[in-house]
Amino acid sequence: MGLAVPAAPATAADEEVTLESIVNNTILGHAEDGYYLNFKPFAQVELPRIMLVRTADGALTLEAYGSTKGLLQNGPYGLAAHGDGGEGHADPMTASAELTEAIGAKEHLHGSVVRTSGAVVADLSISRHLIFGLLAMLIVLGIFIALAQRYEKDRDRLEAPQGIFQNMMEVLVVFVRDEIAKPNIPDGKWRTFLPYLLTAFFFILVANILGLVPFAGAATSNIAVTGVMAIMTFSIVLLYASTDYYKELLTGPPDAPVLIRIILVPIEIIGLVMRHLALAIRLFANMMGGSLIIFSLIGLVFMMNVIMGEAAAWSTTVISIGFTVFILLLKLLVAFIQAYVFTILSALFIGMAVEEHHSDGEEETEPGLDGRSEERLDAIEDQVEQRTQPTTA
Amino acid sequence: MDPAALAYLAAGLGAGISAVGAAIGIGRLASSSMDGAARQPEAAGDIRGLMIVSAGLIEGVALFALIICLLLVLFV
Repeated sequence: MGLAVPAAPATAADEEVTLESIVNNTILGHAEDGYYLNFKPFAQVELPRIMLVRTADGALTLEAYGSTKGLLQNGPYGLAAHGDGGEGHADPMTASAELTEAIGAKEHLHGSVVRTSGAVVADLSISRHLIFGLLAMLIVLGIFIALAQRYEKDRDRLEAPQGIFQNMMEVLVVFVRDEIAKPNIPDGKWRTFLPYLLTAFFFILVANILGLVPFAGAATSNIAVTGVMAIMTFSIVLLYASTDYYKELLTGPPDAPVLIRIILVPIEIIGLVMRHLALAIRLFANMMGGSLIIFSLIGLVFMMNVIMGEAAAWSTTVISIGFTVFILLLKLLVAFIQAYVFTILSALFIGMAVEEHHSDGEEETEPGLDGRSEERLDAIEDQVEQRTQPTTA
Repeated sequence: MDPAALAYLAAGLGAGISAVGAAIGIGRLASSSMDGAARQPEAAGDIRGLMIVSAGLIEGVALFALIICLLLVLFV
């Protein structure tokens, strides 16, 4: 997430900065995925493009180029301008003079490439979100392999763990175990699913926090990443679901009339899919929304510069920087909350699926409310009585 | 009327209305969980967890609406 916006566009292109180019290239270009790393004002690193293509004579080949620029200059590709899709579909730029000018104006970073002969089967290019997703994965792996080795080394120590780092991570791990896995997955089955929940929690947390680092981006603000994570939860639900769950899903509640079952079964199935779809959309929209708000607030300065002139832009700067700091703090909170929400909802769905109904008519036990939580409720009530008695007596 | 203009209008109105809906939902949720926590401070931790989960669910619905508004704006 580079906060830099082209302050001096005249060097790149001699045309004026329009409102459309600010919105399309600067605001959306930063929030969306892209094939370059933005270190403006220091550098802009283009990422390798890898294309699985079917050439004109029907052979499947894998083509790799160092950058989008190289792809356009050396390969049989043309540049299609961004945003003017739809009707007409203007021919992609292929002439080298035109291309050089477009690359000079950095249009190739925001447009899409089209193969002039044959067709692209799969675009396997390395994108910004892929880089930061892998980086988040490496950070999580590094932290937890180092931590696991420390626990392995002094397995039978008796004193409390030493060091800020180990303590902080242990708090988070124990939080996921005691507050997320145990209360939501019944019958001691949480042990099976705790590794997945911990992995999901820490990957999302680290990826979200990477989105707050200057020049970096959040891999979780990509619908593909969150979609894959939701599919993982969905497949765990489908694979580990008890026969009772499937029976109830496919034939409706046990003692309902047939007519109601016919209505309820499709609703249940649609609800099952939508729950997991919402899991993906929620994380994606939260992260994407946060970065869009930040870039829009900063982009406001440059829009004011175009519409009302320099003085208005300077006074907008003060306001928009203030709001941006506020939103950034909010995003830090959201990074934690979204990791928590994704994990607890995954645990809830898995818990609902793996639960076995002991079908000897005990409807009074609510799902997730097993004996332990009732004990806890009793303990709370006792405490309340003990506290209130001295005051009332 | 120009269909693109109508789409922009719909997106703007939709974003506003979905924000109203989410605000009502989260406001009611917050007020009743504060009631609960004030009556039973011992259960405040449990209530907080439940509140965050329900807020996430309400927010999910509002975000669905916002995605539709974004699609209206970006892909007319």
